Amino acid sequence: MHLTVNGSPREVDSQRFPTLLAALRDQLGLTGPKLSCGHGECGACTVRLNGDLVYACLSLTAACEGAQIETVEGLAAGENLHPLQQAFITHDATQCGFCTPGQLMAAAALLERNPSPSEEEIRTAMSGNLCRCGTYPKIVAAIRAVAAGANG
Amino acid sequence: MSAGDKKGRFVQTTVEVEGRTETRVVELPAFEPTPWTADAPLTIVGTSPLRTDAFEKVTGRARYTADTVRPGMLHAVLVRAPIAKGTLNALALDRARAMPGVRGVLGPGDAPPGTRLFRRDISYAGQPLAAVCAESLLEAERAAHALAASLDLTPAPHAATVEDALASDAPSVRSAGNATAPAVVERGDVTRGLAEAEVTVTREYRTPVALHSALEPHGAVAEWNGDQLTIWESTQGIFRVRNDVARALGVPQAKVRVLKDYMGGGFGAKNGAGAHTYVAALFARALGAPVRCVNDRRGEQMDTGNRPATVQKVTLGATRDGTLTAVALEAWVPLGISGWEGGPAQIYHEMYSCPNVRTSEVSVYINAGGMQAFRGPGYVEGAFALEGAMNALARTLQMDPVALRRKNLATHDERTGRPFSGNRLDECYVEGMRRFNWPSTVHRPPSTVTRAKRGIGMAAETWPTGGGPPSYANVRINSDGSVDVLAGTQDLGTGARTIFAQIAAEALGASLASVRTVIGDTERLPYTGNSWGSMTTPSVGPAVRMAAEDAKTHLLAAAAPMLNAPIERLSTRDSQVCVDGAPALAFSDLCRRLGNVQIVGHGSRGPNPELAIVTVGAQFAEVEVDTETGVVRVLRIVAVHDAGRIINPALADSQLHGGIIQGVGYALFEERHMDRARGVPLNANLHDYKVPTMADVPVIDALFLGGADPAANHVGARGIAEPPIIPTAPAIAAAVADALGVEVCALPLTPWRVLGALAG
Repeated sequence: MHLTVNGSPREVDSQRFPTLLAALRDQLGLTGPKLSCGHGECGACTVRLNGDLVYACLSLTAACEGAQIETVEGLAAGENLHPLQQAFITHDATQCGFCTPGQLMAAAALLERNPSPSEEEIRTAMSGNLCRCGTYPKIVAAIRAVAAGANG
Repeated sequence: MSAGDKKGRFVQTTVEVEGRTETRVVELPAFEPTPWTADAPLTIVGTSPLRTDAFEKVTGRARYTADTVRPGMLHAVLVRAPIAKGTLNALALDRARAMPGVRGVLGPGDAPPGTRLFRRDISYAGQPLAAVCAESLLEAERAAHALAASLDLTPAPHAATVEDALASDAPSVRSAGNATAPAVVERGDVTRGLAEAEVTVTREYRTPVALHSALEPHGAVAEWNGDQLTIWESTQGIFRVRNDVARALGVPQAKVRVLKDYMGGGFGAKNGAGAHTYVAALFARALGAPVRCVNDRRGEQMDTGNRPATVQKVTLGATRDGTLTAVALEAWVPLGISGWEGGPAQIYHEMYSCPNVRTSEVSVYINAGGMQAFRGPGYVEGAFALEGAMNALARTLQMDPVALRRKNLATHDERTGRPFSGNRLDECYVEGMRRFNWPSTVHRPPSTVTRAKRGIGMAAETWPTGGGPPSYANVRINSDGSVDVLAGTQDLGTGARTIFAQIAAEALGASLASVRTVIGDTERLPYTGNSWGSMTTPSVGPAVRMAAEDAKTHLLAAAAPMLNAPIERLSTRDSQVCVDGAPALAFSDLCRRLGNVQIVGHGSRGPNPELAIVTVGAQFAEVEVDTETGVVRVLRIVAVHDAGRIINPALADSQLHGGIIQGVGYALFEERHMDRARGVPLNANLHDYKVPTMADVPVIDALFLGGADPAANHVGARGIAEPPIIPTAPAIAAAVADALGVEVCALPLTPWRVLGALAG
């Protein structure tokens, strides 16, 4: 199987790694996306597949031939953090950090789709990504700050 | 017992761990730094520098236990019991062993007795029966599925609930009996107190089983190098994991090294080694290769602990002016198959001033996964009932619920007779009312709204947060002037790394940027206790400060001859040694001149004062209840707590948010559902077990009062992590009662319960 992962062509084995999450984590060593529920319930494995948000634990590697995959590892441009990554740092929008990669991918997709979401739109769009530590208010603040910056 | 009562350097002290009092022997520290009082001129402690590890977390570079990869690593999967009670007669271990990629299997008789693993007698659904190890996770899972399908079981009658376990013909859950004798604690005379009461209220409250549901499941990677075992573990207590593993496998503690870098939440469930740890270690030894074993979500939700359910019958007595004359509790707590005996009672003895308090608790054993401490264990459950009853009493008395609480404010800990080190609960009430705009009277005009009814409510909390010994830390100054804080503690996501760097930088007079905190290694770092019971800051913080002060003493002694000035004229600031307050010699220059002469300061946590050290607070909630659908929406929460000094206000805010949001989940959604007939959890996943999402979060206005508590310890900080969850659910329940005009005395406040209460 041929994929483009964070801009680089990669080959993965869909027999040994049937889910996209297994291929990313266990074959390619990209451990930003996390295995938490394995059933598309928590969002810790959220990545982008041809621009769409997907739960990598429910995505079949065999269905990804030729796909463009983006993970949190590809969010920064070299050492320049994505504005959301910087905002998550400055707004202290992490606690344990386990859900953070998925939260960032969901937030990036939201802002591409809707550069100036309302708080209600943020809460709705992000509600597929659980954070058991309860960092939600700071995640909302970080996303709002980036949206405001993009508009200003 | 004070230090002076003992000969020698070792003394006894009391430490409260998760609401349980322990007596410990502790070595007196070589010196005790002068306490940082409220007006101490601190410049780094009390500010909010960014989390030192945020960059790693936002880039995906933070490595969690489940991300750990070792060369040639194998993968292990547990096979769990699908029935609540019975016997495992046989399973097809040989067939699994022959499957593709499988390198080993473990079943009945294969584990050392100390691990209590792979028993043939089954006493709860989810109990580990066997394990498979394979070259890939997929192959291990396939073999585990095959093993699960091969189980030859003889089911036996089980007890899934308190009622089942206490029935006259109940099946035996454990040989010592299904229930303990009532544990009764009484002060004064409740019978007399109730006779003196002019008003009494009696209610029965029920709370659900709640699951920790950390996003990173329990997991371990084990690797043997000769007879030396290294374990990477997602844990709140690296030393406890080390000791558990050494004991279970019969190897010296010196042969076991436990490492923990990042972890994806704990909340009380990750306080020692588990089946996954032993399985990884056993396979790794037998197969000569590193092994990773991480729970899948179903196993995580079934077999890693829970907040047990409670049934609490509460009676309060008071005079007409609201003075409490009696507090009485009868409680039943189904622990599961194991756990701490002792549940919600303690807060009844501590929260309010009352001469007559009696609690009686029966711990009940049932065929379900055992309890583990879960953020504010006992107090969360107890506060729901005690605070619910206080709100019911306020309604009966036609008294404002805040006024009722202020009337019965505890001025000392009436359970132990000890004075408080500090307790500003009354200020929390006043500040909370101000922020919430709490109505000055209970006689509010009745709502004219018919469907979406709004209500307000409040509740209070107390929680023991003194921390205590033993905890040790070293502060090492490197030859370029940079600083390492070395302490074998854990950062669960709380920001412990960051606050210990702040404390060390403050005490040493170093720039924060020059300080690194190294944690999570039993082999190379000094001992600290588990990160539980809101204990890490007040336990390890003073040890870190003392180590930094000690290092500073050595540093100044080295600087004095170089600067040709007596030590009394020297001070430190921003990694400079100052003479008469003026910067004179940078740490980097000083240390370069010292070469490889090491400056290492040693710190330890001294005994606790004979004081009650608690974090207190009050929360106020506003809700909207859809009276047609029964859906409760929490609109806002105001929370004001007093924990003494706050080391880093931004990190403390996150603890407030986290506690409150978990409290919203406990109030509205979270409940483990059991199939009573089969004794198997029906919602052992994150879809049917509902934790709050971003869409469920209310507007939160939360703060700690700040100041300092120098009587608690010389850093002046008490613990903060658990108190914020304690009053949330009772405040929400009070607001729902206010909206509906009818009380709902069971959690969670699901639409069914709300509609049921409305229907009477």
